[in-house]
Amino acid sequence: MTTPGDRARVSVLVAVPRDVAFRVFTEEIDQWWRRGKGRGVLHLEPRAGGRLYEEIESKSGARVFETGRVTEWSPPARLVLEWRNVNFSETEKTFVEVTFEESASGTLVTVTHSGWSAIRGDHPARHGLDVVAFIRMNGMWWSEVLTSFREHAG
Amino acid sequence: MPALARTFEALADPARLAVVRLLRKKPRRSSELAAALSLDRPTTSKHLEVLRKAGLVKAELLDEDARARVYRLRRERFTELRDFVDEVEAYWGDQLASFKAHVERK
Repeated sequence: MTTPGDRARVSVLVAVPRDVAFRVFTEEIDQWWRRGKGRGVLHLEPRAGGRLYEEIESKSGARVFETGRVTEWSPPARLVLEWRNVNFSETEKTFVEVTFEESASGTLVTVTHSGWSAIRGDHPARHGLDVVAFIRMNGMWWSEVLTSFREHAG
Repeated sequence: MPALARTFEALADPARLAVVRLLRKKPRRSSELAAALSLDRPTTSKHLEVLRKAGLVKAELLDEDARARVYRLRRERFTELRDFVDEVEAYWGDQLASFKAHVERK
């Protein structure tokens, strides 16, 4: 039984075979992932336990911002990540499952992001923002942190 | 605690979720809910109080019987949940549209 509001799900049909969809989704994530300007390089390590992280060069060397960790790596069908937004507390995490299903005209790619009901709004780092406001502020990514980091890194 | 987190916390219990599912169909008395869920009256009252404090249900007195309170869902908190899911889905919708454009360009 899922708690209402706990799960978000979105699908897209892409006109390529399933193995190509999986490979491009993971290997070329840096090329298609939408994020702010002045970005670093996005990496997804292709294995269970691998990290999803953005690496940004600065004068003091490369900085790494991790948001995900692979918990299931099953090419070309399925990929599951533990997902932590910036300012989640240590124990807070959500789950992103990506499935790739063969269809007559290509591959159906479905993202299911769940676990939101375990996220509490009262973590101090969140400055009292509600989860919605919090996510909007961050663009679900590290945009705020990265923007300030880039400004400092010059 | 912000409203959405309070909503999630109030719903993070199978009995309270079951109460919400029953009230979705129609408003009911506490005694009806207790019977439908095989819970004792004090336990049912406790769950209803948590839901009421989180703003998910409200209690109304019936004119014909002043002792009987009827519980009904309040729409606002559930709309917030829906809006939240919409927000997350819009985010992933954007990412998947970008992925589609990229993978089909090849």
